[in-house]
Amino acid sequence: MLYLQILVNGIVLGGLYACIAVGFSLVWGVLNVINILHGTFIVIGSYTAYFAYIKLGIHPLLSIPIAAAILFLLAYAFQSGMINKVVAAPVLTTLTLTFGLDLFVNNLLIVAFKADYRKVILEHPLGVLTLAGITIPEDKLAAMGLALLLTGLLFWVLDASRVGRAIVAVRMDREAAALMGVKVKKIYALTFAIGGVMAGAAGSLISLIYPISPLNSLPFLGKAFVICVLGGLGSVPGAMLGGLTLGVLESFGALAFGPEHAVTLSFITLILFLLFRPTGIMGKRGYE
Amino acid sequence: MKRNLLLLALIGILLAPMVANNYMIRLATIMMLYCVLALSWNFIGGLTGYPSFATAAFFGLGAYAGAVCQGQGVPMYLAWILGALMAAIFATGLGLAILRLRGHYFAIASLVVADVLREIVNSTTNLTGGGMGFNLPILKLEVDAQAKLFYYLMFVLALLTVATAVLVDRHRLGFGLRCIKQNEDAANMIGVNATIYKTVAFILSAVFVGWAGAFYASWVNYIEPGDVFDVLYSVKPIVMVLLGRAGTISGPIIGAIVFLLMEELVWRNFLTFHAGVLGLIVVALILYLPDGVLALNFRRLVAWRKNG
Amino acid sequence: MTRSSVKKCLGKGLVFLAVFLLVASLSTGQAAERVITIGAPLPLTGPLSPEGQKQAQGYDLWAETANKAGGVKVATEHYKVKIVYNDYQSNTPRAVQLAEKLITEDKVNFTFSPFGSGATKAASGVSEKYGMPTIAATASSEEVYNQGYKYLFGTFTPNPTLTEPLSDIVKEKVPAVKKVAILARNDLFPLAIAQCMDASAKKRGFNVVFFEKYAIGTMDHASALTQIRGAQPEWIFATGYINDLILIRKQMGDLKVSAPVVTMIAGPAYKEFVDAAGPLAENITSASWWHPAVRYKGEDVFGSTENYNKLFREKYGIIPDYAQASASVAGCLFQIAIEKAGTLDRKKVRDTLASMNVMTFWGPVRFGETGQIISLKPPVFQIQKGTQVVIFPPEIAQANLLVGVK
Repeated sequence: MLYLQILVNGIVLGGLYACIAVGFSLVWGVLNVINILHGTFIVIGSYTAYFAYIKLGIHPLLSIPIAAAILFLLAYAFQSGMINKVVAAPVLTTLTLTFGLDLFVNNLLIVAFKADYRKVILEHPLGVLTLAGITIPEDKLAAMGLALLLTGLLFWVLDASRVGRAIVAVRMDREAAALMGVKVKKIYALTFAIGGVMAGAAGSLISLIYPISPLNSLPFLGKAFVICVLGGLGSVPGAMLGGLTLGVLESFGALAFGPEHAVTLSFITLILFLLFRPTGIMGKRGYE
Repeated sequence: MKRNLLLLALIGILLAPMVANNYMIRLATIMMLYCVLALSWNFIGGLTGYPSFATAAFFGLGAYAGAVCQGQGVPMYLAWILGALMAAIFATGLGLAILRLRGHYFAIASLVVADVLREIVNSTTNLTGGGMGFNLPILKLEVDAQAKLFYYLMFVLALLTVATAVLVDRHRLGFGLRCIKQNEDAANMIGVNATIYKTVAFILSAVFVGWAGAFYASWVNYIEPGDVFDVLYSVKPIVMVLLGRAGTISGPIIGAIVFLLMEELVWRNFLTFHAGVLGLIVVALILYLPDGVLALNFRRLVAWRKNG
Repeated sequence: MTRSSVKKCLGKGLVFLAVFLLVASLSTGQAAERVITIGAPLPLTGPLSPEGQKQAQGYDLWAETANKAGGVKVATEHYKVKIVYNDYQSNTPRAVQLAEKLITEDKVNFTFSPFGSGATKAASGVSEKYGMPTIAATASSEEVYNQGYKYLFGTFTPNPTLTEPLSDIVKEKVPAVKKVAILARNDLFPLAIAQCMDASAKKRGFNVVFFEKYAIGTMDHASALTQIRGAQPEWIFATGYINDLILIRKQMGDLKVSAPVVTMIAGPAYKEFVDAAGPLAENITSASWWHPAVRYKGEDVFGSTENYNKLFREKYGIIPDYAQASASVAGCLFQIAIEKAGTLDRKKVRDTLASMNVMTFWGPVRFGETGQIISLKPPVFQIQKGTQVVIFPPEIAQANLLVGVK
């Protein structure tokens, strides 16, 4: 009984986690850039949803397109403006660059919105679903459902559209794709922008459930790391699997070791995977 | 002429505490701490080319090892050495585990280690005080003398680190590490045992940092897991080295000094936005000054100013 | 690398260092003209900024009120009071650094402690080293005061003074309570008070069926709350700062975790908690060191609790809670001590504080051996119909305990 509830908690959490990580995973897999800004993008998405609700009365679930649009532009600008300059550079350079950018943007957010936690408090809160003794808050369920939907949408886009195929091609082999006529720089910018879009969407969903503050950006990033390694880089189904695994792991980990260790557990899992199975559960090869 | 300048500078450093107030001495001590951190990272990051983010892990480990020992009654000076030793031993184990990862994976693994250590410290409340922090016994020394003591001690540690850096640079180890940075497989082929060399570099990047951590704990008398395992202790040394010039000896030193100056300036003037300004500086650094300050040819700059 | 080029490298570095030190030795002095400066390192930015801002509000109101009334009387002269703020960005090592800077560079006359037990403890070493009288407005844990320091004073009573009366009330009024569950934030104050709760509960024969810590920054408490639900305790006790507690309360609602008695420290005292939690805040109990409903007439510059509330509302538009009041009274205590001692001499002021026994708008103030206040009777309160009402001590109780939190 207890275990079933914990499992359900984990799965619901996992769906959301998948959405958080998929954009990050794509950027890492295709551009070989670890985007430290990803966490801050998510937070920007959350703030968008929050202010849309406070000022315009738009329900967070419906402000996903708004957040997505804003982040698309922002991410595209960042990428073509700055990150493109260092895409082929060593790990240290790209990592430090995105770290510096993140410091800057995050500080802007803190100055603009203060570090206090905001919470979207719905006028008509969604209720709680009770099935066979298991309780699932409806807002988490809705968030999870939408998260999976969006992730699925992304997968379909990558699979079925021309641009999507181009992205996958660049991920597999940059030079070959260039030889095939793919404009690699544009694909980079687009992929980064898509990463931003997914982050913004995740942020909107998150605003429904968790408190919003620029200080949450690094914890989100930490989760994204773990999910990427668990699921394999650049792979959308991998991100989903990684997300679900992490959610369930954290849930049961909190039960077994106490809630304060949940995050440590995920990091230890990360290290173990890096050491023994860096290609993740699914075994897709990422960049070194 | 150069030798006299060097001597002058040395005398300046030794005498400075006599004229400066305690706050300035504190600042100078931090500057030397930064030099130690930057030079240490340089071993694994600058020379060997492995982007290690484990500096915070070593610093925090050294701090807590030193603190806990002192809490158990171990004399301060011995506790520091134990702190350094613990960091070195940990680096050996960690290195053997993660040094076979490359690039991003190595970076992440090293980054995450600090978090894991922090949580372990957080949970072992009985030993380390956990989230409530750890209080170190206060020295029976009056304030001014204490400030000067730690200043000189940190200076000695910095000199030690510089000496080691010079030694490594001249020794086969330095050459081997540079080869590994260029091309690890090729290095292996010409007889450089990459695994051993990398591990030694990793240990070197840990031992002085651990020592500095133990110093730091005794210096501030109170440490918390969140403070000594702060990820910024991993990031700042990297920025300092990049600021100066990776792979050299004066590079990290100059980078550390310039970084501290910037930090103080920014902190005093941009109260709410200092982190942001720091971020901007880092971005500008990466985009426009990728080889560091030392790469600037000062003579050409001066000539350009004169003519233009 | 040749010998001379090594020297060149070292030389460059050392020259930089020497130049820096020389330039830096030119520190700014401070012109003092009948002004008493009090240093206040606070987290004005960062995660603890809401709490830091509250403290600042308290200090400012006191400084303004004191200056309007003519300033602080030192022997025969009147001095204006000025608070010197420094932001340590919620970063404890910076707080310690700033505490030292305020003393050595800004040369303040006295200092206030940073926010919270952790940072207060860290910075107290500095003030003790320099013999600087320091009043801590937001530190309650006994661990802060157990170092044998002579220059630290605190306006919060030790944690058990919050948990003991609370446990008495519950034992007496709610006999159905047998099992207690405790969820604590892994941080100095929240963990310390949770441990006190554990002790208080066990002392009265309650069965502590769950006691876990959550990491700072945790956003999902589902697992812990699910376990609590499984244990079915009659009393749930959660500690943390306001953001944690709002989250926990909401997630309790999500998972349908309910109990006859739910206590949270330290969030429900603030209006922000009631606003954020909405109907979920109903019947939550809490305790704090002061409440605007108390009624004291004091020797301080405000004169009475009612007057304090009035002036606070005039300046800020909201009712004060204990954080701001504590900061204000810290200022008042310095004023009273300086005026009683008739001097700004640090040792004399310190001795006056140590032997002080006065009534203030905050309550009776007398410090114990360790420097922590021992004379207060912290009120216990409950949120009923959207407002906090005091249910203990009986002298100022406004209502009785209501049982049942959905």
